[in-house]
Amino acid sequence: MEPTNQPKLEQLPAEMFTIIKAASNGIGPRLGTLALPGRKAIQTPHYLGLTSRGVVPHITQDNFARATSISGVYVGLEDFIEKAPPHTPPLYQFKPPDGSSPLRRFIALPEQTLLVLGARRTPPLAAPSANSNTHETVAVCTAVGFRTLRAEYYAEVVEGLKADIVVGLGDIPFGRALGHKRVVKATDRTIQWMQDHVTRRRAVVERTAQARLFAPLLPVSCAKQQHYIDSLTQDLASAISGLAAYDLASLGDLPDSLGHLPRLGFTAPSTPHDILQHIAHGIDIITIPFVIAATDAGIALDFAFPPPARNATNERDLDNPLPLAIDMWAATHATGIYPLTTGCECYTCTSHHRAYLQHLLAAKELLGWVLLQIHNHHTLDLFFAGVRLSIAGGTFEQEVERFAQAYESRLPEKTGQGPRIRGYQYKSEGRGEAKKNKAPFTMLDDGREKLAESALPAANADASELEEQGFAEKDVQ
Amino acid sequence: MSGLSGLSVPEDMVLRPRPSALKFDLVTKCSTTKARAATLQLPHGPVSLPMFMPVATQGSLKGLTPKQLEETSCRLCLNNTYHLGLKPGQKTLDAIGGAHKLQSWPHNILTDSGGFQMVSLLKLAQVTEDGVRFLSPHDGTPMLLTPEHSISLQNSIGSDIIMQLDDVIATTSPDHARIEEAMHRSVRWLDRCIAAHEKPHSQNLFCIIQGGLDLDLRRECCEEMVARDTPGIAIGGLSGGEAKAEYCKVVSTCTSLLPDNKPRYVMGVGYPEDILVSIALGADMFDCVWPTRTARFGNAVTSTGVFNLRHASYAYDFRPVEDGCKCTCCRPPSEGGLGITRAYIHHTAAKETAGAHLLSMHNVHHLLDLVRQARESIVEQRYPSFLRAYFGKLYAGDKNKYPQWAVDALGGVGVDLMA
Repeated sequence: MEPTNQPKLEQLPAEMFTIIKAASNGIGPRLGTLALPGRKAIQTPHYLGLTSRGVVPHITQDNFARATSISGVYVGLEDFIEKAPPHTPPLYQFKPPDGSSPLRRFIALPEQTLLVLGARRTPPLAAPSANSNTHETVAVCTAVGFRTLRAEYYAEVVEGLKADIVVGLGDIPFGRALGHKRVVKATDRTIQWMQDHVTRRRAVVERTAQARLFAPLLPVSCAKQQHYIDSLTQDLASAISGLAAYDLASLGDLPDSLGHLPRLGFTAPSTPHDILQHIAHGIDIITIPFVIAATDAGIALDFAFPPPARNATNERDLDNPLPLAIDMWAATHATGIYPLTTGCECYTCTSHHRAYLQHLLAAKELLGWVLLQIHNHHTLDLFFAGVRLSIAGGTFEQEVERFAQAYESRLPEKTGQGPRIRGYQYKSEGRGEAKKNKAPFTMLDDGREKLAESALPAANADASELEEQGFAEKDVQ
Repeated sequence: MSGLSGLSVPEDMVLRPRPSALKFDLVTKCSTTKARAATLQLPHGPVSLPMFMPVATQGSLKGLTPKQLEETSCRLCLNNTYHLGLKPGQKTLDAIGGAHKLQSWPHNILTDSGGFQMVSLLKLAQVTEDGVRFLSPHDGTPMLLTPEHSISLQNSIGSDIIMQLDDVIATTSPDHARIEEAMHRSVRWLDRCIAAHEKPHSQNLFCIIQGGLDLDLRRECCEEMVARDTPGIAIGGLSGGEAKAEYCKVVSTCTSLLPDNKPRYVMGVGYPEDILVSIALGADMFDCVWPTRTARFGNAVTSTGVFNLRHASYAYDFRPVEDGCKCTCCRPPSEGGLGITRAYIHHTAAKETAGAHLLSMHNVHHLLDLVRQARESIVEQRYPSFLRAYFGKLYAGDKNKYPQWAVDALGGVGVDLMA
């Protein structure tokens, strides 16, 4: 791994984001390069890996470095601050000996991987109405429940963690629509918080190692948050290196003067079709919660962009769109000693086969989710590479249309059990709630009677006789 | 063969040497203790003895990829026949071509017979002369596992070392007659296993010495089973809550009766102290789920003891899990490791699966490395001083804390821990 703060890298041009190709006017897909000192340059459109408590779920840091090509990750501060207040969270006390980023070292993220930090994880758990945002605070969900995060505190601590990109705090009311009055309030708050944050940053003498600040856009059109947009184009302009979009609505009327900024999407696409649509709206880097949900559901993504050639005049092809993914729980995979998806070159597909995946899921072995996570992220890597090529070649729009025809509109339904559900994955509905995780073992009430009734096979019984006795589920397939 | 005249060995079995798929090369015998260093050539490559074998129950080591398991230096892991027999099942194993192919593990696999799980996991298991009767944990269907079927399953699994089906009784059982019956039945079942074993040239069948804590029964069992000339020998029925002193007596009694030229495997032993003492008593192979299971509870195994990193005191502890440890988790980035801190394990333990995976990597590496160091010291004829140094570090030099059983057992093989 390369050491940080290499003099050579410090001399890189301040230009962090270069647009290579974009629609001449209005919104449209665009090609770019996001280059930060010490990190591998990211060709856009691309995606960020999503983390939970600093780790892409199931992927230990050595597997991350060796078996994935995830070029950047998004980390939510709320995963680290359950002790605050009254205690200082451990992360803030961690001082790596070499002066590198405490957050990066703490979560053991490779040096070359882009590190983006925001207040809330993605997807965030919607705050209960009793814990809504205030003029000074936003509601965050920690390992010990909802807490309030002061805007001032956020601005202070994120700077010390030395991420590459920090998403400024916005008054984003996750899970709720914004009424007119609420938009006015959210606009005022976000202006205030961003201005305070920028003032704090400008007061710092040594600014070369500062994270780039991305400004959150409220999930409404720019016209509806005009004051904030004005602030971004005027007093905050020089301090902002990018935008974070929470809804496509805020990109439709984005002023040209903000067009040069990279756009980070927290727009929660639920299918690859959505991803393409969000790219078409000009999102440069997107976060994709459905990948992780698919992994936990035991689903292997299986889509490519551009879509494979199909015969447009062949009715069978038109009537039978391809599935976007494969449910690895299906017993039909039990003896399939071939890759999850044909020709896939990921670690999972080159080292293992469907039969093993199916076995691991059925046996609830943790490795199943590890291998699926690796495969699913690899599928995304190829998908985005294909998207960039088609934008460069000017065929993006046609290919999106072909993609829509070639593939089913939704991912397959979840059929199997995922890993244990954690507190940050669902909102408690209060008392009387059913258990989220099934007890792994239950007593067989009628066991003793059945044993008494059972006939004993002869001592020299062969396997097929035993099979009839029901040993070992020999009737698979 | 006159010396065997009193044994119940069928004549055709003693006359011809058993086929074997291993080669045991004794490298060094400790000049003080009964410890040995050896190399065991197995169908999927050589392994060094003494050796700790982590347990990949259902064909995976609790979240680690085969690549990660390989990086802990493991070259032989366990699979459980009982679990693989239920899932994916024999038919699927046959279709896939065995457990190596199932889990893409290029190194060696050892499987147990499946009997132990039935007795330990299933309250309603009954042992009869035919086999173990039990109820399917899935749907309650009555089932029977015979020695023949256990071997057939293990033949389908294709493991490099397979175990006979034995009649496992808790050593703490007060029913002496039952223990004696179990020992004799285990011998009879060994004969059935040998007869049923279809792949003796690619899979090594190990017998399992039974007899509870009764040393005479153990001696008788050793004699009977050694005569049957299996490629390797296991000492079973231990590690079930018996007093450690009793355990040591059984291991030592058995190893004294076992031939020098065969590997000796003490089943289910996994605590570092137990392993090191057992090595001194002449045992070579050990297995236990403990390092991985305890990792899932946030416990780190180190040379100064076991620490629960979920404890609040570790939230701000930015040292590696164990200072100087060479595992992927602990090594600093400058040495190609991850530089994971105790605080980060605290942060993820029991909250993210990856937290358990990281700690499993460390714990398994720790045990493999401990036994590797033990072997090195045996080869260099300094095992007694290695043992003294190990206990000294573990108990921070406080000899009053040394477990009496370990002091006594090691004293019995010429190592005075208190010196």
